[in-house]
Amino acid sequence: MYKRVLAAVNEHLNSEITARYAMEFARSCGAKLFICFIADKSLPHAALRNAENAVSRLFIQAEEIHVPVESISDSGDPAARIEQIVRRAEIDLAFVSTRRTDMKRRFYAGSVSRRLLLHLPCSVALVRVVHAGMIRPRRILVPLKARIDQVQQRAFFTAQFANAFDARLFLLYASPPAASLFGGHIHLTPIEWQQRLPESIAAFIKTLQQQGAEVEHKVSPGAAGKTIRLEAVAKPHDLILMGASQRSLISSLFQGNPVEEVLRATPCDLILFRPRHEN
Amino acid sequence: MKISSVTPQEVFRLLVSSPQGLTEDEARRRLEEFGRNEISELEKRPLWKSFLLQFTHFLAIILWMAALLAFLSEYFHPGAGMLTLALAIIGVILINGIFTFVQEYKSEKAIEKLRLLLPFRVRVIRDAKEHEIPAEQIVPGDLILLAEGDLIPADGRIIESNRLTVSNAPLTGESEPVQLSTEPDDHPLLECKNIAFAGSSITSGSGKAMVFATGMRTEVGKIAHLTGSVSDDLTPLQKEIVKTTRFVTFLATLMGIIFFFAGALTGRSFWENFLFAIGIIVANVPEGLLPTVTLSLAMGSQRMAKKKALVRSLNAVESLGSVSVICTDKTGTLTQNKMQVRVLWINGEIVSLSDAIHLPASVNFFRIAALCNNSTFVDGHSQGDPTEIALLQAAHESFSDISAARISEIPFTSERKMMSTLHRLDSGICIFTKGALESVLPCCTHLELNGQTLPLTAELRERILAGYTSLTDQGLRVLALAYRHATQAEISRTEIARESDLILSGLAGLEDPPRPEVPQAIAKCLAAGIKTIMLTGDASRTAVAIAREIGLVHQEPLVIEGQELARMSDEILRDNLRSSEIIFARMTPKHKLRVVTILKEEGERVAVTGDGVNDAPALKKADVGIAMGLTGTDVAKEAADMILLDDNFATIVSAVEEGRAVYENIRKFTTYIFSSNIPEIIPYLVYILFAVPLPLTVIQILAIDLGTDMFPALALGAEKPAGHLMRVPPRRPSERLLDWKVLGRAYLLLGPIEAAAALFAFFIFLSWGGWQWGEMLSSADPLYLQATTACLASIIVSQVANVFACRSYSTSAFRIGFFSNPLLLLGIAVEGLFLIALVYHPWANQWFGTAPLPAAIWWTMIPFAVILLVADEIRKLFSKPQIA
Repeated sequence: MYKRVLAAVNEHLNSEITARYAMEFARSCGAKLFICFIADKSLPHAALRNAENAVSRLFIQAEEIHVPVESISDSGDPAARIEQIVRRAEIDLAFVSTRRTDMKRRFYAGSVSRRLLLHLPCSVALVRVVHAGMIRPRRILVPLKARIDQVQQRAFFTAQFANAFDARLFLLYASPPAASLFGGHIHLTPIEWQQRLPESIAAFIKTLQQQGAEVEHKVSPGAAGKTIRLEAVAKPHDLILMGASQRSLISSLFQGNPVEEVLRATPCDLILFRPRHEN
Repeated sequence: MKISSVTPQEVFRLLVSSPQGLTEDEARRRLEEFGRNEISELEKRPLWKSFLLQFTHFLAIILWMAALLAFLSEYFHPGAGMLTLALAIIGVILINGIFTFVQEYKSEKAIEKLRLLLPFRVRVIRDAKEHEIPAEQIVPGDLILLAEGDLIPADGRIIESNRLTVSNAPLTGESEPVQLSTEPDDHPLLECKNIAFAGSSITSGSGKAMVFATGMRTEVGKIAHLTGSVSDDLTPLQKEIVKTTRFVTFLATLMGIIFFFAGALTGRSFWENFLFAIGIIVANVPEGLLPTVTLSLAMGSQRMAKKKALVRSLNAVESLGSVSVICTDKTGTLTQNKMQVRVLWINGEIVSLSDAIHLPASVNFFRIAALCNNSTFVDGHSQGDPTEIALLQAAHESFSDISAARISEIPFTSERKMMSTLHRLDSGICIFTKGALESVLPCCTHLELNGQTLPLTAELRERILAGYTSLTDQGLRVLALAYRHATQAEISRTEIARESDLILSGLAGLEDPPRPEVPQAIAKCLAAGIKTIMLTGDASRTAVAIAREIGLVHQEPLVIEGQELARMSDEILRDNLRSSEIIFARMTPKHKLRVVTILKEEGERVAVTGDGVNDAPALKKADVGIAMGLTGTDVAKEAADMILLDDNFATIVSAVEEGRAVYENIRKFTTYIFSSNIPEIIPYLVYILFAVPLPLTVIQILAIDLGTDMFPALALGAEKPAGHLMRVPPRRPSERLLDWKVLGRAYLLLGPIEAAAALFAFFIFLSWGGWQWGEMLSSADPLYLQATTACLASIIVSQVANVFACRSYSTSAFRIGFFSNPLLLLGIAVEGLFLIALVYHPWANQWFGTAPLPAAIWWTMIPFAVILLVADEIRKLFSKPQIA
């Protein structure tokens, strides 16, 4: 499914770590890796040198592990140029890092990473790196929502990612708590929660298992963002892999946005995946 | 793969750093990217928000709407007293809101205490130079310098170690220092010997570490994350209060609406019906319930404090009563945390301490015990490790004077599990060794037996191992003691060379004896249907032996060790936790949270004990987190709901009993408070159905609910626990505070009698004043004022009888005794004074629309009070005994 994987690199350490994720993923898929650095015109010379060094380090590492690799360095508006490169090189999947400073803004609106996530004509894995010491995630937490679209591609990416790192997948459905008007909160045991597992999640699990992924799953009642974070710390998991939010800014303002909540205070590295094409 | 698994060179590559450290530019960039190295609070709800929430819940919104309508009514229809009503309703909202806020608010300082684990300044290499910078500016990739006495600012991979030893006690609870090296290590991160963790301290040596995680991403940050984010679920009582208020609000609103339209059908004006509907709502809502619950919990917490259980959160008082599982530590809680030598294996047999003195072999044995020992006796007080103190004590009890100059020491480490000392005795130089048998025995070549030194044959080894097994089967901790004579030349030999060719002198069996009151407390838990689960860092045999001794287990218990637990899936653990007798041995505190979480998922109400920093998340997660007052860390104490001032398990059981009594008492005063709702509602129904003057005004209802009822209700909250309280299982989660028994008793028996009393007083007074049926009276008419006052007084007098009835659901008020709760008498006295003021004080007359009553009317109220008491006594004759 993914034959051409792009990693967007800049002067920051997190983009280099993101590119390492992309490299391992490309290796497991047998894909070609494009390491791409677009220098913004305002970029200071030291930062430029940092980014170029990162590109050359990554290039060498890719060659060392026999991943076909090509590096692209250019200047201009990063989002626009990367979009052009994706179209030109027919990239299937792009790994992009997002920064802490982006998180300070509501729904990280206007950031380069947000623009790339929304507008790149390929699937996008937006990576938030918070733990530089985690080299290979072994336990990946996959939070799910009740209705999952593009099941095939999501399952493929998830299974392939786990395969790339020889990791176990732990699926989590953070369900709204059970309650009644007069009875208030209703306690359900895990078995009772399992019986309420939405169909699309069951289908997703089945597809993952067909892909050969090792999967455990659980349902936890509670507010999604907080439940995901707590689960990630308590177990603990090394990486959270979740779907990108499809809520609009207005609906996020009113209903909250679990993806944004997790992004802001994730206890481990986080990947937001937005599939572009079915199959 | 983790950072601990790779070489230091690889660490530099992965973190894009170097032995010269980061450049200042890069450090600045990374600080912007990864944030400050600080422990922050993620979920803290601002105080103002918590306060505001108390005024925006379901019941409060209904009351706000009622107040708004009353204001509107005053605007369009002035002079009907609606302004007073609106203000009174707002007063009710404020009182309830403030009381609930006080009840729920708990000053949380656990995260603040965690912050104190990190240093303020740290030495770091940047641009190949050493700098001292604020610890919060450390970033991943920084090379930090570590020296003795330093606190570690962030999680770092050791790059250089000069006998660098750290204490990870705050993080792992392990008191033994760990020597760190630069070698790759594949163990789980917390067990790695090449990682320096934030919050740990350097006990000796020096070194360098490359930071890979800062702030909330460090292991201590994760504890903060969990401690701050684990939600304080609503306690069982809070859930019940929510259900009760929703039910009452629905009932009140429904009745208000129905009777508004019923009034319209009978031809009354809009404003009359509106007044009536508001009255129905106010009469139905038990305004005094929340403040009474809060005050009752506060009194409960005071009683607990007297029993050495300091409650930090008022809600925990009642939560304790509903606990179905107690997860408890062993050392110090079930046991005394005072090691004692119980028996010895010496001369090939197990002997008691007193018998050992007569054996020749004991001379060497006790010499080793006293000299290979770092504990001391100062002014009759012992100082040092509890095991060493026990050995020293045993040696001094057997031979009072044992002394010799110590030449050197090979210290104890958790890896070697043994220590040795070299001494100069009159007879020459001697090496004394003590430690775990598996460490000491391989260093031994001989055994001291019957005054002879015999070579260690396979047969003798088997005999030693049989003695060892026999001691461990008794739950004893076993130490092997060995010695050998040495030459002057050996003083300079290496450590390993010294600890060889030893003569095994014997084995010491030590135990930490159970607290004397614990067996009884365990038996109480068993009778009360509370499951007690022991979680201990000790070995399984020791844990099982102690559990048997205190009566925690009677059959063959299921024992799960920490490593086994780590591999176990949640499903299997869930099944295992259903076993009636289960013990967790060799546990680390991080496992506690998992056990508590699964128990809670299964619907259990869990209390858990803890003392370490990393116990904090489990303490927060549990329904009742219990911290140790004597040995607990500040973080654990701040995260807990209750602090045991004496670290004693028996105190937990006393607190559970007190908690059950509090819930029982809450049911008692709920019955009491709800009983008065009926005489408050019925007059409204009579008013609308029979076209008579309104017998009780809204303000008078509030005088009962927030005034006279409060003091006796509070006194009911101080009733002593019933004897059977700890002989019945914990109440089921499905059991309601406001169940049909409470409602039936209050609404169908006690309430109607009170209503009859109230209406009787009202109408008899009207008829004495010449009132004719159907005649409407002005609200300022003196006869009307006196009649409503009679109605009000009659309800209050009935409530005096009711308070005696409500002291028990099934036990006769006469059997309990009318003087067994002095607070009740005080409460009734205050209620009486309040009533007299309402009736006879001109200010109260003005505020509450009352008027002084003649003495004769009081006599009409007494028979109803007696009827109420007798009727409930008859009901009690047919009711089964139960809580409340």
